[in-house]
Order: sequence, then structure tokens, then C-alpha cells
Amino acid sequence: MDLSKRLFINIIPGNTFLDKLTGKTKIRLFFLLILILVATWDMRILAPVCLLGIIGLVSIKPNWKTVSGLTIFIILVNLFNLFLIWVVTPDYGADIVGGSTLLLRFTSRYIITAETLWYFLTRFTKFMATFFVSLTFIQCITPSEMAAGLYANLVPYKVSTIVSIAFRYIPEIARDFEDIRISMQARGMELDGRKTRLWTRLKQNILILAPLIIVSFDRVGNIADAMDLRGFGRGRKRTYYAEHEDTKEDKLIAAVNLLLLIGFVAIVIGRIFFPSTYQVWAPWINA
Amino acid sequence: METNNKKSIGRILLGTWNTRTIVAVAIGVALFGVLMVFGGIKVFTNTSLTSAMVVVAVVAALFGPLPAAVTAGLGNVLADLIGGWGFWFDWSIGNFVLGFFTGLIPIFGARVEEGVFQVKHAVWYVVCVLVGNILGFGVVTPVLTYLFYSSELTITWMQAFSAIVSDGIVLIVIGLPLLFFLANRNANKNNLSIED
Amino acid sequence: MKEPVVVFQDFSFRYKSQTEETLHHIDLTIYKGEKVLILGPSGCGKSTLANCINGLIPFSYPGKITGSLKVAGIETSSASIFEISKHVGTVQQDTDAQFVGLSVGEDIAYALENAALPRPEMIPKVDRAARIVGMEDYLSQPPFELSGGQKQKVALAGILHDEEELLLFDEPLAALDPAMGMTAVDLIDRIYREQNKTVVIIEHRLEDVLYRHVDRIILMNEGSILMDSTPDELLSTGLLKENGIREPLYISALRNAGIVFKPGEHLENINELDIPAYKDKILAQMEASKPYDAPEGGEVLIEADHVDFSYGKGKALDDVSFTIRKGEKIAIVGKNGAGKSTMARMLCGIIRPQAGKIRIKGENYLQFSIREIGRMIGYVMQNPNQMLVKDMIADEVRLALHLNHVEKDVADKRVEDTLRMTGLYPMRKWPVSVLSYGQRKRVTIASILALQPEVIILDEPTAGQDYSHYTEIMSFLEMLNREYGITILFITHDMHLAIEYTDRAIVFADGKCIADNYVSTVLSDKAVIEQANLKETSLVLLARQVGADPDLFIRHFIEKEREERGHGLK
Repeated sequence: MDLSKRLFINIIPGNTFLDKLTGKTKIRLFFLLILILVATWDMRILAPVCLLGIIGLVSIKPNWKTVSGLTIFIILVNLFNLFLIWVVTPDYGADIVGGSTLLLRFTSRYIITAETLWYFLTRFTKFMATFFVSLTFIQCITPSEMAAGLYANLVPYKVSTIVSIAFRYIPEIARDFEDIRISMQARGMELDGRKTRLWTRLKQNILILAPLIIVSFDRVGNIADAMDLRGFGRGRKRTYYAEHEDTKEDKLIAAVNLLLLIGFVAIVIGRIFFPSTYQVWAPWINA
Repeated sequence: METNNKKSIGRILLGTWNTRTIVAVAIGVALFGVLMVFGGIKVFTNTSLTSAMVVVAVVAALFGPLPAAVTAGLGNVLADLIGGWGFWFDWSIGNFVLGFFTGLIPIFGARVEEGVFQVKHAVWYVVCVLVGNILGFGVVTPVLTYLFYSSELTITWMQAFSAIVSDGIVLIVIGLPLLFFLANRNANKNNLSIED
Repeated sequence: MKEPVVVFQDFSFRYKSQTEETLHHIDLTIYKGEKVLILGPSGCGKSTLANCINGLIPFSYPGKITGSLKVAGIETSSASIFEISKHVGTVQQDTDAQFVGLSVGEDIAYALENAALPRPEMIPKVDRAARIVGMEDYLSQPPFELSGGQKQKVALAGILHDEEELLLFDEPLAALDPAMGMTAVDLIDRIYREQNKTVVIIEHRLEDVLYRHVDRIILMNEGSILMDSTPDELLSTGLLKENGIREPLYISALRNAGIVFKPGEHLENINELDIPAYKDKILAQMEASKPYDAPEGGEVLIEADHVDFSYGKGKALDDVSFTIRKGEKIAIVGKNGAGKSTMARMLCGIIRPQAGKIRIKGENYLQFSIREIGRMIGYVMQNPNQMLVKDMIADEVRLALHLNHVEKDVADKRVEDTLRMTGLYPMRKWPVSVLSYGQRKRVTIASILALQPEVIILDEPTAGQDYSHYTEIMSFLEMLNREYGITILFITHDMHLAIEYTDRAIVFADGKCIADNYVSTVLSDKAVIEQANLKETSLVLLARQVGADPDLFIRHFIEKEREERGHGLK
């Protein structure tokens, strides 16, 4: 029933190593890892990062019931996407890995090659790494740390305030949404897809959205007044109660972040100045 | 609420970022996130249309392009966060573009907060939605997806196409009546008469 | 020599979007160390006055100011809100909206964060403020797990970081249940004394504020100050009722007994009254009048039979049984989280019993969908804006019929009947947007009545409403009950509402139904009152002091009030 419990972000900070870092450090670490994941197709980098993501996730002791459900879902979606790619372009590996070592042939068109399989494995690793890193990040940062961390990373505080206020009012809006939906049901709105046509449901959706939007935006004035009365927007700078001072752990990760940054720059320079013929690295092909 | 009717175009494009606007955008982002995660309209099993985009239409009509763009972009990031399905910047940026174009309607004279939203504004709204949609999901997102993830192009196009269709449907079929409703609600009605 | 903190001199204000002034020629001085109540009905300008003092006017709400207002020596029309907020701390009415932090600690620190105070200096200040209001154990709690009273304490702590000399409370009791309201009034008084602050309270719930002494009451109506006096002086006049303010119940009861107050009498606090002197008159009046007899209900409509429900941890409803009969008016009372909202959700079929049964007219309701139950039991949400989806009143009333596929000619007839029954027929083509809160409430009730349910459940129908709006809404519901036999369940924590407009109270505490009896009986039961976070009404105190049976005394009081209302209605 409680919608806020279905969200994947924690409001109260945990007490593991990653949890205890400052928002600033967490955001830097996360962004660098994501940048590296986007920039490379090299399994020698992707696999360790993916492993790191899994270790990170395990280390923060998440709620396994929700995490495992989501993980299975993401794996299935990724596999399905790979299957789609194979259906559309069965010999995709030839373009992107280079080569076409036939392993299996169903029809003249539908073949399986070692290169395509390697591409699929690389792509799967890349996407799963992104997923694990993101999930770890979401699970170990609180909305307040996110706002503070963004500010510490040179995002103007007016923007990071949007993030924290949005998180603040999500549970309220989710509750209103639920209440309005139920009251419309009681007045006779049928939400069951088997009993009404899609078009009707689509049009009836406005009966829930209109009051939800009005009630939600009705809050704006009061919230803005409360902020103005307590000096929001008073100066160019701001401090954050939720952002503690750097600890030993933060200093350690700061060093890691520096290494990651160097690595990222190296990857980008490598790709710009020494472009390989094929985008995806494979152990048996020396570009 | 009174506003100066003759705002400069630049002002409309950027919006006035006082506390009120910041809070409104934040509420828009939160609404977007909630609807994205919980407000799906089932089409078939496992496929649903999200009604989240209509929030962008409302912010667009009330606050203009940049606030609408921020609502759409940040809203998508936030929905990715609370939904737990990872970050997809390519799609968030596509949303940002779509939001920006949807937010152009005040330039064509629509003032929903003062009750002004007529058929010609609706036409402009549809045009803005279509252009923003095609530019956002038809160009920006596929290009970014290709650059970031080197995805298979046919499939990227397929995904882009389904996004254009579903967001287009939601923004027009639900968004348009909603804007008329809001405008009507805000319009000053003076000729009220008691009828027996 | 008294030092003035707030000085209004011939001050008027008109909002930019309005044609008429909201405040006219205000002359008012509030001195350092005073505790002042600004009293008045909704729309009298008291909130506007508060926003002038804290600087939101003209910062956020532009308009035309004439005359002068100095706060801590600063002329507000030319000062920035930041400058004023150093001297004035405001606690607003909406406890949810003003809680902008993501945890208790953050919200208390909010002003310090905005002033860019380094965190090491911030922490001890937050701890200190949290200790003053008793929230030091909750610093990492997120807001949605807090009660309204706790949120208000946090808001108060947020303005206790030593600089602010004036504390301004804008309708602090609006969102609180009776016991929480008492705690809040007590806390405000303690901080006023211990921290040497000047306190200004804006309220319309006079009796609740007077639980602790105030130095002065400023009575406002229609944008002007009507009276500026001590509580005793004001209570001895008839100005309160004339201006839509609820008199303290004990004062009304004494007036009912024909007692005329002498000048200089202590009326502010029931414990300081010379009640023995009035004893004879009160008892004589009881002899001469007849007590109210609650009518018996008709056939049984709803039965809850040993119902259990749990959201996961602990029981939200624990072995609850009761019966509701046709034509009854019932108050469902209890503190937040006691189970009254859960019960209402269950009656509407949103959640279903995990053990036990609910029967509607003898049939187990598990067989009915939410929709089908909606045609028998209507639910009216607290905020009418959550329910209004159409432009025009008639369309709003028609919606439920349309959704239930009622044939057009039948629907036309029903819409017309419903509109006539609710007195909305002459306004049927009006847009919903022009209506007042009370009228909107009426439309939402009409939109539910279109389905012809026999029972309607109203969630806090009068929350945040002043006495006259409250009377408007409640008289309307009373009429529906009297004329059309509609059974009405009120979910409420408003004791006045329970006394005046219902016959029976079902009291919840910790998921259990701890009492189910006449309102007068429930309210005279000290154990029930304490367990359910209710407040003992001053009528009970008065009855005890004159040696009357509290139950009977309340019934006499109800009868008298009903008579007066009856005259008023004609």
C-alpha cells in the first residue's frame, strides 16, 4: 500500500563503507564510472567495473527481495534486446567486432558467429555494469546527500534544490494519486483493462490527472513562502546539514576517483588519436 | 495572479526563476516521477503508456520552455532513480528537448493561468509537440544512443518510433483536454446567473 | 518603558490582483515581551496582517501599501524579506508544506543552511533547538513518518536559532487533533516564557488558544480591528458570536443559564471562574429545560463483525465491531493512526478485512467491487479539489452516473433531483472554479449523492474552516440527514462537531474500538478521552463543579444549541 516503500532510494543513511561517504564523493565516483562505461567497449575494463558494481551492491546490504526481482527483470530485458538485434542483423559482429567465425547456421540468414556472441557478451556486461553501478549509487545515497553532492560538484544550489524538493514531496504526491484513483473508482471508473477499451481508459485518465495536478500545484505557494521566510535564495552560497566533513574513507575514494579520471581521459585520448578499426575489442583480434 | 502580458521572448524562453518557479518545477519533477513509476495505463500485458508527459504540458503552459524542459529532463532522471532501472541520459536529454518545444506555447499567446487557451493555441501546441517529439526522440536520442552505446540502429529507431507515438498520444489525447480544462478553470467568469 | 516591536500606523493594503483593500487603516502596536492573539473569521484579513509582519507582503505578494509598518524598527515596504526574517520567525498553518527538509534535522537547519553557516556551527544550534521542542530523538526521521503535531514542533524549532525576537504563529491549531492542539498551545507558552520572545498567534479557535494565558486579543473583521482588549473584556461582550467566532463552550453554557457577566470578572480560564456562585442558576436552567434525546436509527445498514486488518506491522484494526443503522449521524473519532481512516477505507472496500466480516444490509460485502460498494456507501474526501474534475457543476454531478452507464433520461432526472436536493440547481451551469470552499464541498457531496448511496462517509468535512463556514457545511449535512434520511459518518477530531451535529460516537485508539455510545456519554468518560487523545470539553468541567451529571449537562446544552440553530435556520 505504501508507495514510498516501492521506491529504490533510501531516505535514512545506512552505515556501510559506501553509505558513509559524502554526497560529493559518491556523485563523483558514480559519474566517473558511468563515463568510463559509456566510453569503452573493452571487456578488460567492462568486466572489472561490472564486478566492482556487484561488490558495491553486496557491500551495502540492500533489500535482496526487491533487488533480485529487479535484477532478473533487467537481465531479461537485456537478453530480449540482444535477441532483437540478432533478429534484425544476425551478423552484427562482423561490423562491430570484425570477422565472421561461423558457429551455427539455422538458415542462410540466421547464423550465429563467434564475433556476434562476443559482442553480445560485451554489450551485456556493459549494460549490467551500468545497472549495478547505478543501483548501488541509488541505494547508498540519500536525496539530501544528492542535493548537497550536486552543489559541491558545482551545480547551482537552485538546481539541486529542485532535486531535494522533488524527493521531499514524492510520497505526498504518490498518496494523493492513490486517494484520487480510489475515489474515482468508487464513483464508477473502471480501471480493469479487460472491462473497458484502451481508448476509454486513456480518456478517463484525465479524471485522475486533472485533480492530481491541481492539488499538487496548489502546494507551490505555501512551500515557496516557507522557503522565502527562512531565507532561501539569500546568498550565492549555501551549506548543507546533511553533508558531513570529509573522512578518511572520502580521502581514499578521492584518490580512486583521480585514478578513474586519468583512466577515462586515457580511454578518450586513445579512441580519438588511436582509433581501432572495430569498436569492440576482442581477445583474438589484434587491431 | 497577474503577469505582464508583454514579456520579451527571451524572458519567456528562460522563464523567471524565483522561488515559486523552482518549487513548481520541483513539484512537476516529482509528479513526473510518480506518474512514470505508478501511473502507467496498461495497453497490453507488460506494455503501458505513461501519463507522465502531461505534467510537462502543464508546466510548459504555465512557465514556458526552460522550466518545462527541466521538468521533463530531471523528471526522467528522477524516475530512472526511483524506478531503479538505471540511468538513461540519452532518453533524458530527448525528454529535455521535447519539454523545451512543448514549452514554446506561451510564445504563441496561450496563457493558461489567465484562462487563455483557444483552438489556435491548441493547434500550435500540437505542432510544438510534434516538432519536439520528432527532434527529441527522432534525432537527439537516437544520435546519443548511437554515440553512447553503439546500439543497433534499426532497433534504436524502433524504440524512438514507439516513444514518439506513445508520448505524442499522451500529450495530445490527454494533454490537450487537460489544458483546456485548466484554462477554463482559471478563466474569469463574470456573467453568472441564477436559473430556476 | 515598553519597547515596540511591531508598529502599524494607519496601514492599508490592497493585493495587486484585487480591486478592494484587504486591510483598512490598521493602527496597532505590539510591544516586546507581549503575547498577543489576533482573532477573526476566515477572510477577515488576519493572515494578510501576518504576512505583512513577516515580510511576505510585499516580497511575494505585491500590492499597494499606504501608511507605515515598522517591524523591529525597519520599515517593511522598503526592506528585504531576509532582513525582516532575522527578527521575525513564522510558523505557518500548513504543516506539510512548510516542512521542506528531508529530515527533522535538515528542516530545523534550513534557515542556517540558507545563511551558509558552516556545518560545525550548525550542528550544536540544531541540537539545541530540537531539545527545546523535544524533538532531539527524531533528528534523522523523514517527514512522512511524523504526526502533524511533531511537524509543527519542527517548524517551531526552525525559528529558535536565537536571533528572532518575534515568533508569529499562523493558525497553529488548524491541522492538529485536540490533544495535540493543547500540547502546541502549552509549548508556545513555555517557549514564550523561557526564551523571552514576543509571540503573536493568529487563530479563530479561541477556546483552544485560551488554554494558556494571552495578554491581549485583537479582534478583526472585514479588514479592520474591532477590539483590542484583554481576554476577559472581550469574553464579556457579545462581539464573538456577531463576528463568526465560536465562544468558549463554558461561556455559552453560562449565558444559556441566563448569567450576565460583571465587568472585571475572570472569564479567560474556567478554573478561575467563580462557578459556585452560578451553581443555582445553572441547575435551575437544567430543571427548566429538557435534555436532547438522540433518535433511534432505523434498519441495520452496515455491520462490522470482529474485523481485523494489518498493513504489515501491528494491527491497524483489531477486533472491531459495530452496527450502523439507517438515518444515524455518527462521529468516528480518535487520534491520527488510531484506525479511523483505515476503517473508512475498509467500509469503502479499498481494503478488505483479514479476519471478521463486513455486511451491507445483511450481505457479506466481499462479493462487491469498489464500484458496487460506491453505489451504497459514498466517500467524500477531505479536500474537495481532489474530487472535482469537471468545469461545470451539473457535469460534475453527472459524472458518476455516466461512469456507471446510467441511461440518459434516468441520469437527467437524477442529476436534476440531486441538484435540487443540494440547493445547487440555480447554479448548475456555473463553473466549479468560482465556488467558495463550502460550495465546492457541497458539489463533491452532490457528485456522490447522484449515485443515491444510503450512507456517506465524510473525511474531516470542516478541517481548517472557521465557524461560519463550518456551520454552513454542517447545516447542509444536517438537512440531508433530516430531509432525506441519509446516514452520515463523520471522520473527525473536532469535538465541537461531534457534540453539535452527531448522535453517536465510535472512538478508536490503537486500532481498537474503545467506545461506541452517545456523544454526550463518550465525552463524559475520562478514561476514553485520555486513551483517544481527545480533549475534555469545558462543559464536563463545568458540570462537575456544579455537581451535575456531565452526560445530562451536555445533553441539555445540545438541546439548547439545536433550538437556537433551528431558529437561525428559519
